[in-house]
Amino acid sequence: MTTLLVAKQYMKLFYSKYEIYITPFLKFLLAFTALRLINSRLGYMAAVNRLPIVLIVALMCSFMPTNFIVIMAALFILLHLYAFSLECTIVIGAAFLLMFLLYFRFSPKDTAVVVLTPVCFVLKIPYVIPISMGLIGTPTSAVSVACGIIVYYMIHYVNVNVSLLRGMTEEETAAKFKIVIDGILNNKEMVVTIAAFAVTLILVYIIRRLSIDYAWTIAMAAGAFVNVMVILIGDLMFDTNVSILGTVIGTVVSLLLTGILQFFVFHVDYSRTEKVQFEDDEYYYYVKAVPKVTVTRPEKQVKQIAGQKNNRSIR
Amino acid sequence: MLNEERVILMTKLASYEASDGKRNVAIGSYFRVDYIGWQVLKSIISATIAFVVVFAMYIFYDFEIFMMDIYKMDLLEFGKSVLKTYAVVIITYALISYVVYAYRYSKARKSLRLYYMNLRKLSGMYSNK
Repeated sequence: MTTLLVAKQYMKLFYSKYEIYITPFLKFLLAFTALRLINSRLGYMAAVNRLPIVLIVALMCSFMPTNFIVIMAALFILLHLYAFSLECTIVIGAAFLLMFLLYFRFSPKDTAVVVLTPVCFVLKIPYVIPISMGLIGTPTSAVSVACGIIVYYMIHYVNVNVSLLRGMTEEETAAKFKIVIDGILNNKEMVVTIAAFAVTLILVYIIRRLSIDYAWTIAMAAGAFVNVMVILIGDLMFDTNVSILGTVIGTVVSLLLTGILQFFVFHVDYSRTEKVQFEDDEYYYYVKAVPKVTVTRPEKQVKQIAGQKNNRSIR
Repeated sequence: MLNEERVILMTKLASYEASDGKRNVAIGSYFRVDYIGWQVLKSIISATIAFVVVFAMYIFYDFEIFMMDIYKMDLLEFGKSVLKTYAVVIITYALISYVVYAYRYSKARKSLRLYYMNLRKLSGMYSNK
């Protein structure tokens, strides 16, 4: 454990020293991954389905605000859909417009989640999102997560129904339109996932704010359990055909990943908890202070051997 | 000689200015009524556009049936029900916006009060030099 804590100290020092390069690099990585995934899933427009284009856009995203990644990802999706089917572009474009007009107008700070959620779905670790957002976000993050889920399932719908939509003729525009809207709105799996993630996120948030020892660990475990339960109940009620084994394994992997997050964000020593009580003119204060676990970095000793006469050590 | 306390205070102030400070200063330059009123107005415009988009999708969804029924239906009644739905949507969204922006305004003012207090403290440090 001490080795890990020392490594954490080194990483913190490294991040604070090179933050100016690391933050844009992380933005670049997120934008690059998201755009590559969009291209691999949709990829109908050859003009944007090229590595140099993705690299240029990801580079632009690296020095722009995080919201720019969301806009670029939405633009890439719409361009691909436009090359595939105009009806899909209109329906999905309308959904994006509603999200931007009604929710992102409030400029929440966690818009990156809208991109991260579909990315985690593709990487088969979606359950990491509600648990980690419950730990580091607020209950309103559930709306951002829900937007991310909707985006993923819309792309998934188009991806799965390519042959059906391609098979329809130009005269069947109205029918095509109806099929796309029905396909997106009547997706029970999407509704169950939104419900499960929202319940998990809010539960994790409530538990981690409780004044109990190991609140974060309990919140993570309870969140994971509730997540699996809601998805299974949803499967029984709406017959969503969710893989039970996949859900359980995905949740366990997500728990491990959020454990890493907890180590970096909230690693405290409950054995040294102090409870103090005092008062002023207006209030009584019951303060519980939990110390962070920290270790001092070992100082490097450089021994210089410069001949037999001048043997000395320098720090 | 460097005054350590002053440097710490200046760093804190600069960091605030670079993050939340910029937004809060912009909010603080409005009167409460003006800020909330302007934001709610923008929300109403956004909600109106969103309503038009949803209404258009609703019409297109069953376009053929709608075109067949348009001659049979009571257009006045249909218009009334659309307007009623629009009013409900707009009022709900405007209320949510009001709550959000009223909270943001009071939070920004509180944070700015602390910022200006620290600025005065910094200025005092220079005059006491």
